[in-house]
Amino acid sequence: MLGKTGKIISWTVIRVPSTEFSSLAPYPVVIVDMTGGGKITAQLVDWNEEDLGFGRRVKIVIRRVSEPSTEGIIPYGIKVKPL
Amino acid sequence: MKIYITGAATTKFGELWGISPRSLAREAVTDALTDARLAPTRVQALFVGNMLSGMLGGQEHLGAFFAEELGLGVAAFKIEGACASGGVALHNAVNSVLSGQYETVVALGIEKMTDHKPEDVATALMGAGSEEERLAGATFPGLYAILARAHMQAFGTSEEELAAVAVKNHYHASLNPNAQFHNMITVEQVMRSSKIADPLKLLDCSPISDGAAAVVVTSEKLKVKSDKRVEILASAVATDTLGLAQRKSLTELQATQEASKKAYKTAGIGPKDIDVAEVHDCFTIAEILAMEDLGFYKKGKAAHAIASGKTRLGTSDHLIVNPSGGLKGCGHPVGATGIKQVVELVEQLRGRTGARQVQKARIGLAHNVGGDGPTAVVHILKI
Repeated sequence: MLGKTGKIISWTVIRVPSTEFSSLAPYPVVIVDMTGGGKITAQLVDWNEEDLGFGRRVKIVIRRVSEPSTEGIIPYGIKVKPL
Repeated sequence: MKIYITGAATTKFGELWGISPRSLAREAVTDALTDARLAPTRVQALFVGNMLSGMLGGQEHLGAFFAEELGLGVAAFKIEGACASGGVALHNAVNSVLSGQYETVVALGIEKMTDHKPEDVATALMGAGSEEERLAGATFPGLYAILARAHMQAFGTSEEELAAVAVKNHYHASLNPNAQFHNMITVEQVMRSSKIADPLKLLDCSPISDGAAAVVVTSEKLKVKSDKRVEILASAVATDTLGLAQRKSLTELQATQEASKKAYKTAGIGPKDIDVAEVHDCFTIAEILAMEDLGFYKKGKAAHAIASGKTRLGTSDHLIVNPSGGLKGCGHPVGATGIKQVVELVEQLRGRTGARQVQKARIGLAHNVGGDGPTAVVHILKI
């Protein structure tokens, strides 16, 4: 998945997150129509207001998902960033 | 075989910090049985619609839990289908009577949410979404916001039209003694309320609530004294992908379309025959999607119709929507909502709802959604 690109087909900006994402808010969650097929829901990172729009291109990157759990495990996963 | 609701009751909805789940269930079921003029000993099975008792309260096994609390000692089940748990519980109750296994059963919907921190409730509710959505940090306001954005782009739906749904439902709630909110609001107040997940604002969102509701479901074989029993013409459930991204379209809930098609076919009627509807307005966009997906309006036409008062008490003489105040105004204790919608329809069809009575209501439709559309339940009732 890493490095694949696609276009934003809808989005929101989460301002009231659940506990584990509280340090990240506000952050956008976008639906991406991937080049070559398929759609994903992902968090947008390294963003500015102008990156939010229909058809804006993004790329999949690996990032820390949320705050580490009390066991100290740092969860990593897929996010997207503007191209 | 004909299936009837012979008794129906709901507790007050709201922030009920002084009332336990046991007391809520006892009140709803006792009042429903009293309404049906049936002794508790007549109940043969109990279906409990609930979503969060395990995640928030640490208590599962609600079938046995409430069967004991209510002194019923009968077959009992917890039914979970996210925010459609109540509707799905009723569907199973109806099927159990249709099968001939039982003649008299109770469907109870119950949820206790306000004893917990809002962030914890948000996390627990996301159990209804997909893993991909949880890892993205999505919330349910966020997922419905994504649907709202897509609808606005496709059909020119405005934020003011979204707001008008909340304004209507608060007006209806102001006429319902059991509703969580009795304050009327304006479009300007909705627009000025704090942003939760753009473009949805605080007053676009249904609240976190406590409450319970119960109905007594009986077969035609049972001779009852209840003077105004209401027939269940259809009970239909449909499902779709858990994740929004995996759907074909972001401007419709296919599960709603499929459940309503099945229900209309079973009932032998169409959308035009419905006099009163309780639809799932967990967020303002959800009522707009529902009105289109249930066949009341063509795609893209519902928002303007709602904003111009077509479904509001007092300004329309056909198809009043969410006279209870809906999830927005009446409150949304998630497992209770699907049953409460049906209780409201039963009372409307019996002509017992006072200031919020829909005139000459004969056929009602209840529409209950789990999550952002993976489950949809439609019931059609007739007096």
